[in-house]
Amino acid sequence: MIAERYRDAVATVTAVAEVHAAGNDRHAVFPKEALHELRETKLLGLLVPAEYGGPGGELDDLVDITIELGRHDLSVAMIFAMHCQQVRTLACCAGPRLRAQVLPAVAEGELYLASVTTEPSTGAQLLVSGSTTSLVAGQVVVDRMAPIVTGGSHADAFLITVRSPDGSPNQVDLVYATADQLTAEVTGTWDALGMRATESVPMHLAGAVPATQIVSSHQDYRSIVATVFAPVAHLGWAAAWLGTALGAYSRVIGHIRGPAGRRGFDPGSDLLKTRLATCRANLDVTHALLRHTARAIATDSDIARTGVQLLVNTLKTESAVRCFEVVHELVELAGLRHGYLPDSPLRLERSFRDLRSASLNFGNDRLRLVNGSLALMDTRSDLV
Amino acid sequence: MTLHADLDAVLRKHLKYVDGEALDPDRPLRDLGLDSMRAIDLLFALEDTFHVVIPDELLTDHTFATGRSLQVTVDRLRRQATQPTDG
Ligand SMILES: Cc1cc2nc3c(=O)[nH]c(=O)nc-3n(C[C@H](O)[C@H](O)[C@H](O)COP(=O)(O)OP(=O)(O)OC[C@H]3O[C@@H](n4cnc5c(N)ncnc54)[C@H](O)[C@@H]3O)c2cc1C
Repeated sequence: MIAERYRDAVATVTAVAEVHAAGNDRHAVFPKEALHELRETKLLGLLVPAEYGGPGGELDDLVDITIELGRHDLSVAMIFAMHCQQVRTLACCAGPRLRAQVLPAVAEGELYLASVTTEPSTGAQLLVSGSTTSLVAGQVVVDRMAPIVTGGSHADAFLITVRSPDGSPNQVDLVYATADQLTAEVTGTWDALGMRATESVPMHLAGAVPATQIVSSHQDYRSIVATVFAPVAHLGWAAAWLGTALGAYSRVIGHIRGPAGRRGFDPGSDLLKTRLATCRANLDVTHALLRHTARAIATDSDIARTGVQLLVNTLKTESAVRCFEVVHELVELAGLRHGYLPDSPLRLERSFRDLRSASLNFGNDRLRLVNGSLALMDTRSDLV
Repeated sequence: MTLHADLDAVLRKHLKYVDGEALDPDRPLRDLGLDSMRAIDLLFALEDTFHVVIPDELLTDHTFATGRSLQVTVDRLRRQATQPTDG
């Protein structure tokens, strides 16, 4: 349940998100109205520690709030979750100077952060980068194609993976850069099947930032990825997907129970009941896995160990599959009018398109291959 | 110290970013292109080549850090394998 102190703020954001969701989806434009409310309510600063003027929100707060946003608009939920992933990474791993420079402004809602990890040459791999950098007079020179950047043209700053100055492709750094330190050119459009309001445009980012803005100069990049960057991403994504599947499911139940639904559905049908039960089971299993993983991340003394890494990756692949399965089943249950047409108030059509991205948003196949290798290293197979 | 030629040969097959020179025993293998997926393939190759079994507790970043750390591990396991055991 969302903590009392955030409840009003979340309600404000979801009310606005709800009004604009259909239009933003249709036109594939960024939910700037919802972002405005995320700024105003200071929810953008959720994960900023108290010493930097934030509320010091925990990962459970991130999960609770993202689920709720996901019920209304998956694009908004993703935008929020990915921003929070960047904030958490800065709060945990940046040097004191960079933290002091960035976090108070995030707490005030002044900075919306986008994520740049995907590259044309290496795809979604986090631990390899083909984007070379050089270090010139204390400045990191960045010049990088970014094929898909959620909210890229609305972001105030970016966390960018690049190859370490003069390093091999396996030596990767995470660099913080504000939009005004870079020339950020949008090089194409975003006209996708779903997640249309994320406006995840291709960009070319070029510029120079002080070497003090290399986040990973203070903590090893691989350990940042294993202990913060990937776990928080998977938690946030799973929460967003779960929220959207849950929203669709509860709208369908509400519809069946209501007067219009009574005319269209037979609540006594065995098929309808077994389909609903299957959906509910997928939601409960995903939710249990999400909470269990969140607890492991918050409490395990070694998040980088094999068992926890396996769990964190499994959360991503399983929630992606199951949440999509839920809307797929709901479309079948609701039929053409409410399952397939975009003007139905049940909005299954949009949820279906949006959730189709889940397995692709960091390819499930890619993660399964990693998990298969990790599994072979773990003969005892102790479960976390 | 240089690496045993047979270790150098096995390693080379699993590292993406090596040139023709002998491997520097202290160069981090990660930097030369070893990732978790390649590490498991390397593990099987080492076990097959040197007729050892690398136990789970040695499957750490430390063991796979450099050519030198792998050589030390493999040498020790081979010595243990050839030592007569009690009973
Ligand atoms: C809505 C949305 C928003 C996004 N936002 C951002 C963002 O803000 N910033 C950002 O940097 N990126 C973003 N991404 C990109 C995302 O993180 C992934 O990089 C991207 O979805 C992967 O694209 P891909 O399928 O082309 O690449 P790949 O991961 O290269 O996969 C291509 C295909 O090959 C398979 N494959 C690849 N490698 C392997 C392997 N080793 N073994 C087996 N199969 C493999 C995959 O399963 C897939 O079928 C976003 C993606 C989506 C869908």
